[in-house]
Amino acid sequence: MKSPAVLKMALLPGLMFASALATAAPVKIALVETLSGPQAATGLTYRAAVRYAVERINADGGWHGEPLELLEYDNQGGPAGAADKLKAAISDGAQIVVQGASSAIGGQITEDVRKWDLRNPGRELIYLNVGAEAQALTGDKCQFYHFRVAGNAPMRVNALVAGMKQDQALGSKVYAINQNYSWGQDMEQAIVDGAAAGGYTVVEKTLHDVGKIQDFSPYVNKIAASHADTVMTGNWGSDLLLLMKAAKTAGLKARFGTVYLDQPGNIANAGDVALGNYVAQTFNPEAAGEAGAAFMQDYRAKTGHEPTFIEPQTVFGMLLVGEALRQVPAGDGKLNVRKLALALEQASIETPMGKLSMRAQDHQALLPLAVSVVSRDAKYKADGTDMGFKPVKRFTAEEAAVPAQASCRMQRPD
Amino acid sequence: MEQLATPLLNGVIYGLLLFMVSAGLTLIFGMMGILNFAHASFYMLGAYFAYALQDVFGFWPAIIVSPLLVGVVGILVERYILRRVHRFGHAHELLITFGLSFIIVELVKLFFGNYPVNYRVPASLDFAAFTMGSLDYPAYRLFMGIVAIGMFVAIYLLLSRTRVGIVVRSAIHRPKMAEALGHNVPRVFMGVFGVGAAMAGLAGAVAGAFYTTSPNMALELGVLVFVVVVIGGLGSLEGAMLASLLIGIVTSVAVGIDASLADFMALFGAGDLAREIGGILVLKVSSLAASLPFALMLLVLLVRPSGLMGDKE
Amino acid sequence: MKVRMVLLAAGVCVLAAAPLLLSDGLVNAAISMLIAALFACAYNLLCGQAGMLSFGHSAYFGVGAFATIHAMNAVDGAGLLPTPLMPLAGALGGLLFGFAAGWFSTQRTGAYFAMITLAIAELLHAIAPQLKGVFGGEAGISSMRMPAWGWDFGSTTEVYYLTLAWVLASLAGLYLLTRTPLGRLALGIRENSHRLRFLGYEVHRVSVLIFALSGMFSGIAGSLQVLSNESANYVMFDTSLSAAVVLNTYIGGVHAFLGPALGAALVTFFGYAVSDLTQSWLLYQGVLFVLVIMFMPTGLAGLLDLACGSARRYGARAVAPAAGLYVLAGGAYAAALVFLTELLQRLFSQDYRSLAQAAGAGHWPPVRMFGHDWTPLGTWTWVAPAALIVAGWLCWRAATAVVRRLQEAAPAVPAGAAGMASPGRTA
Repeated sequence: MKSPAVLKMALLPGLMFASALATAAPVKIALVETLSGPQAATGLTYRAAVRYAVERINADGGWHGEPLELLEYDNQGGPAGAADKLKAAISDGAQIVVQGASSAIGGQITEDVRKWDLRNPGRELIYLNVGAEAQALTGDKCQFYHFRVAGNAPMRVNALVAGMKQDQALGSKVYAINQNYSWGQDMEQAIVDGAAAGGYTVVEKTLHDVGKIQDFSPYVNKIAASHADTVMTGNWGSDLLLLMKAAKTAGLKARFGTVYLDQPGNIANAGDVALGNYVAQTFNPEAAGEAGAAFMQDYRAKTGHEPTFIEPQTVFGMLLVGEALRQVPAGDGKLNVRKLALALEQASIETPMGKLSMRAQDHQALLPLAVSVVSRDAKYKADGTDMGFKPVKRFTAEEAAVPAQASCRMQRPD
Repeated sequence: MEQLATPLLNGVIYGLLLFMVSAGLTLIFGMMGILNFAHASFYMLGAYFAYALQDVFGFWPAIIVSPLLVGVVGILVERYILRRVHRFGHAHELLITFGLSFIIVELVKLFFGNYPVNYRVPASLDFAAFTMGSLDYPAYRLFMGIVAIGMFVAIYLLLSRTRVGIVVRSAIHRPKMAEALGHNVPRVFMGVFGVGAAMAGLAGAVAGAFYTTSPNMALELGVLVFVVVVIGGLGSLEGAMLASLLIGIVTSVAVGIDASLADFMALFGAGDLAREIGGILVLKVSSLAASLPFALMLLVLLVRPSGLMGDKE
Repeated sequence: MKVRMVLLAAGVCVLAAAPLLLSDGLVNAAISMLIAALFACAYNLLCGQAGMLSFGHSAYFGVGAFATIHAMNAVDGAGLLPTPLMPLAGALGGLLFGFAAGWFSTQRTGAYFAMITLAIAELLHAIAPQLKGVFGGEAGISSMRMPAWGWDFGSTTEVYYLTLAWVLASLAGLYLLTRTPLGRLALGIRENSHRLRFLGYEVHRVSVLIFALSGMFSGIAGSLQVLSNESANYVMFDTSLSAAVVLNTYIGGVHAFLGPALGAALVTFFGYAVSDLTQSWLLYQGVLFVLVIMFMPTGLAGLLDLACGSARRYGARAVAPAAGLYVLAGGAYAAALVFLTELLQRLFSQDYRSLAQAAGAGHWPPVRMFGHDWTPLGTWTWVAPAALIVAGWLCWRAATAVVRRLQEAAPAVPAGAAGMASPGRTA
């Protein structure tokens, strides 16, 4: 019989060895975003949200005690730069790639990730899409390792129509004006498809060049000539701002139903023009109640500003990944990305807006939406003005969901 | 008729805005042979200076002081940067203005942020001048048009009726002779560059309130200004006015045309054939509205490269 | 001559050994650098040698790229050509489009020529997103490299060697072109096209040929990019790409054959390395451009020539301290610029302004930079850049003093960089 002291001494190195094995290797998350150039504003917003989310996941314990590591890459605003930086991220050991600011870049990344995963089994990575809302990404480009935690055009349009109808602001004649690229074309299709259910007719549809038009008054003339009650648009940035300003200066009576009216700077710049217009949001602090208020405060304390626009959906999407990580066993210390993907497609969490979950069929998240109107009565003001977004109608994830596209034929790993 | 009146008026006013920015560019090219890529950045600087000064001085003093500041920036750029590079040839001057445009945009982003800033039309001008059909016509647009026309008249009179104007014009056509006669031609160049920049700054100060003031302003207007200058004729002020109005009206009216080349060919019975070929033939003119200026530019360059009113090559 | 051959051989060996020494990410950066170098040299054929400044060269790069992607997707994805021969599709596309565009553009000269090329590129850029079938909309067209000749082209290393082979072959081709009568005629067009006409040459025909060849090699560069990224997007027709190649070429130096390659490689690497370090990297790039064009008009190749020439004339040991002092001065100025820019960027950012507001009037929270916390009104925050600027100025003064002493000791030919460009040099 060995003396207890010797036994302990024999056990000690063994325990240390075993504990080293059980410790997880850090999970690396790569943010490949537009951090410079003309579209940097949106990319930097995504970065702020992702940084906050990673900090929160780490505060909750990370992955089996090991904190997540965030690597940041600037894709310089284009698909070629994104492809380069993706390769750099892979070479640095990233296992999850996060991006959202452009559907063109999203298209490049999802294809590159698919090809890499095909060629390198055992070293896969996941593409977490936090904002590229083009239909193709969960349609004919859908793939097992792509997950979208943002909305898409039909979801936004259906919510907008239902919300405006409830407020009796929709009318029966709708004019669709959108940007001439995949997102705008998806929006136009969704607006046309929703006409029967929404009880309106699309009197005219227009597609215009992206970011090239300074003077929207010719379009405003067309809208006036069509006698539309509502203008539905997926425009963002200066395209939305200039359109609304042109409408106001011309005294156009129609209401606007938008998707991106809550982009920082829009309300401040538009001023009174914005009042009475509608937006379909993924997060509205007033609608989110107490949990929403707590989230706002925490975010403001950590980043210096309140979460708006795409920040909440990004944070909730990352938290969903955090939840999925919890389901993946530590194993031999290195994260098994395939198991993470399998866990992620079944994951669901409670967010201040309601339940957020992933649909395994096409990897489109089912997320709650809210339709709001710009008003002075809103509880939370936007952009330092006296106006804010007052919620009109809330949709749970089930209510907001649209069926998966038939063009998505996902090849699952066996 | 009313259908055409509003787009025409809008097109004219937009054209006048383009003129304000391209006038300086065409003068600078005519005089110094420099294609100033940074010109649209002066436009942006004018808007940002006016926005920054608006809180200090109020709207009206701001739009007077802002172009002066931009003019000073232009003079400094010419004196300390362009003059140095002048002897290396045109390519180098061009490239330096290109590098400068980058620097100016990044500096603006550094100080004012990436998002559009809250530069708005003052309450005193924020009303409707008259109604056309069912829509109001904003008074501020007329104000922009008046400023542009006033600027054109002032510059034209300056160039054709004053002594300074004669010296400037002679420096454009015969710089060596003007220098031999004792005029300080480098100083004239500096002045022209400064005045050109100031005109772009004024355009920015006035238009930035109506359209958005954001770091992407320069990009959005930049290439269009080149198109105007080329179509009008490099160096001709009247040409710039004509070309700006043409471009403004064409883009404005084109938005209302929902027909395509295929519809045009249908007049000759080839409509179905055209639709089958597809591609460029079924594109609607309205969705190509912003691309038409480039097609025009190519046409002018091939048929009459000196522009509508430029000197023959 | 022998020294040059040895240096070239050494360079090729280093390039060939790169994948063994560098990480995958850096090998990928090297591929981008090689492609940019080829594009710049192709552009220099038109710009530096034939003297025609084109502003829309991205059009031929893009046409070559799309020709390749369609060739890759043809025959149900199997590809029209085996993968190593794919750049031929790009070459053909660039050549044909170069012929067509060149025929129109070269009818005018000077600024008008530049404007026509710009118009062609802009028109293509504006129409491309509308023609979904050909250009794939804003998601572009994607494809996959097919295995061929025993390799599966799945790893970055294999793509690197393919790119290296094509770039070296194309550069050799471009160099040999300068040795042919056509290459000499290009120089003639630049120097005095009028005289060339009087000597009996059809200047327009020669110009079109040069334009088309430049387009062909640009098309090869475009197709190499597509092979590396396995996708083509219409943003390749953007003016920023045309402007980038012009800038790369001039920064490298138009009068040396490999000058543009050098410039392109360095600028691409700068963008790759610095863009992840700071948000204001475009500002640094802009400042770098302006400084190089103002103070080094013959480009980096010209600077190298100057350094070697000075070393030969005065002896390396005499020149070394001056060179070292210049480098120190440059480093100090650069450090001061970076410090001030990063400080200002943080002070003026939206987040800092809200933090400052929250902290109350008169209180400025510290700014985190380079791993330290700096108080905005603290002494070190302003002394540090000021000290760097003064140090840079002193080093510069000392360096110019050394150079002046050397020149006074051996007064032969002025060693200024400006005006040293001899037109006849092509290598």
